[in-house]
Amino acid sequence: MADYAISLTSVDKNYRLWGRRSQFATLKSALLKRDLRPSPEASVAALKNVSFAVDRGEAFGIIGRNGSGKSTLLKLISGILKPTSGRVAVNGRIAALIELGAGFHPEITGRENVYINGIMLGLSRREIDERFDKIVEFSGIRDFLDQPVKTYSSGMYVRLGFAVAVHVDPDVLLIDEVLSVGDEEFSARCVAKIQEMKYRGVTLVFVTHQLDQVRNLCDRALWLDHGMVEAVGDPMRVVDAYLQEVSGAPASPPPKVEEAPEKATESSIDEERWGSGEVVIKRVAITDEWGRELIALGAGTGITIDLDVEARVPQDDFVFGLGIYHADGTCVYGTNTEVEGYVPGKIEGAGRVRFVMPSLDLVAGTYRIDAAIHTRNGRAFDYRRNVLRFVVGSRVHDVGVYRPKHEWKFDGPITFTSVDALRRNVPAPIAEAIREADKK
Amino acid sequence: MQQLHTLYRHRQLIAALTARDLKARYRGSILGFFWSLANPLLLLGVYTLVFTKFFPQQAVDPYPLFLFSGILPWTFFSAAVLESTSSVSSNAGLIKKVMFPAEALPLVVVLSHLVHFALAIPILLAAILAFAALGKFTISATIALAPVLMLLQAIFVAGIAMTVSSASVLFRDLRDIVANLLQLGFFVTPILYLIDNIHSRVLRALLRVNPMTPFVVAYQDIFFFGRVPKPSDIVLILAYATASMVMGFFVFDRLRDTLAEAI
Repeated sequence: MADYAISLTSVDKNYRLWGRRSQFATLKSALLKRDLRPSPEASVAALKNVSFAVDRGEAFGIIGRNGSGKSTLLKLISGILKPTSGRVAVNGRIAALIELGAGFHPEITGRENVYINGIMLGLSRREIDERFDKIVEFSGIRDFLDQPVKTYSSGMYVRLGFAVAVHVDPDVLLIDEVLSVGDEEFSARCVAKIQEMKYRGVTLVFVTHQLDQVRNLCDRALWLDHGMVEAVGDPMRVVDAYLQEVSGAPASPPPKVEEAPEKATESSIDEERWGSGEVVIKRVAITDEWGRELIALGAGTGITIDLDVEARVPQDDFVFGLGIYHADGTCVYGTNTEVEGYVPGKIEGAGRVRFVMPSLDLVAGTYRIDAAIHTRNGRAFDYRRNVLRFVVGSRVHDVGVYRPKHEWKFDGPITFTSVDALRRNVPAPIAEAIREADKK
Repeated sequence: MQQLHTLYRHRQLIAALTARDLKARYRGSILGFFWSLANPLLLLGVYTLVFTKFFPQQAVDPYPLFLFSGILPWTFFSAAVLESTSSVSSNAGLIKKVMFPAEALPLVVVLSHLVHFALAIPILLAAILAFAALGKFTISATIALAPVLMLLQAIFVAGIAMTVSSASVLFRDLRDIVANLLQLGFFVTPILYLIDNIHSRVLRALLRVNPMTPFVVAYQDIFFFGRVPKPSDIVLILAYATASMVMGFFVFDRLRDTLAEAI
């Protein structure tokens, strides 16, 4: 078995344009022309030399303007369309949510449509029997199950269609702009279901205009422009590049790294940085209450994250954002001025943004920081991923990420003979070393 | 061979779609499937009246039974072929949005009309029994050959249905052409009359090249005349069924990749 789920090799797709005269091709006209093969007047290239691979279990987003070939790409992957040239290979059972409830017949009941839709998506009758309750549960329209589908509202229609599609248990799930349908509650349920599928190792390919979904759900993203691959890679970067382009900003290279003071970058060799550069983050530092820069800190100390920023072009739409990540990639905390309700006024010239935390309640470990300045719709001026790495030391060997402020209290006949001061106050390895030394 | 395998793999889908088709058609109608019989019964009544009262024919008696055994297979053929012309284009949603074996669509049409046909057989049998009870007709065991003949006809119809369903996506006027040809075809098929009673050479030649002729004649043989079809007709039936299927798969395969775009 190959280790990719989807692989496209220099795929071209041309749509034949049926000119006005031959658009309503009739046998009569074909016979008159003495040519039974309808000849297209021209063709338009929907995809040009597209190559990429999606790994198993990867969540892959496809973004781009309307008409850039996204849906065509999805249809090629699903096998609905055939490439004009090139090769499309898919490993495993594939389910495509290109249109929810496609194939529902209005005259028959929801129950019967679930069966037919399931069979269309590749399930056997018995497999549908097994999943039927889960499907109905998920759709949330049990009461209407025995009504003809023509009586359903469009929301109910879509709920049922989505419910069937996600219970097919595909290896590869293709999703075309369908997460935006349904009410809030159902959308949330869809996203949760998709995350669950991702967790179980289902390969996901999205086409969407909701860039937040790409940023939040996808491992990689592809930006398609006029049928050509414009960028593939980290979703943050690709989405940002796309936003730059769409907003009409000159595609400027990200601010050069040497402009940033050495100090901030030396501790994070793996920094990634992108953005349009009208406003830049010149320096990121963690300081204690006396203004001293720290890289290693004790759990529970009060710290401030300083961002030295400079607007080279004055802006009136700006958001400062910070993210703290555990070394394993878990997001510990992320926030920005926008979500906390700061309405931007103006930024020009240099300034300092200070994010003050009276106590850093983290468990021992290595953490890293992302800092960003972007517009309210997410277009980055300067995005610095892994800009700073810091280590939290702790005297106590507790586990997890977050250490809430706490103490132990005991009521009733529960006693402890003593509290090991060493254990409480010195990091465990050091305590062991001290004990060893004492013995000698 | 491979296409047959594909169809076998999708047998549950085809069965489910056929059931859906039948259910959807008769849901909400009081008389249910008897509506599908209304047309052949009406034809039967009208032609019986015309050819027993207005222009009496002595050649075959009882005439209604002769007519009935030819009209049913013709109705199956013409209704299935006509409906299949739009089977692919009216399911554009499926072809464009779902990974869907498009050849299932004309087959579903053929199967659901085959079901109508099969449901009409008991009515023909009842008529036969009625005439037999009146002493005007003797029942023959050749009726038992009907399922074999129906299967062969279904294969023949399926091949035609696949051809016209895919071709009509490219040629939008095919449906009109087919509808007119079918109306003509009714008269150049020996349904109303016995082929032996036709004396015009041209007409006889036309009847001979009409692929529906051996099928209809065979039905009349087993239901009405109580004899096994002539070997020459059997050979023609087998040949037409095979040729039709080969043509159906060939045309459909050629057009398959264009379907999703051209619809």
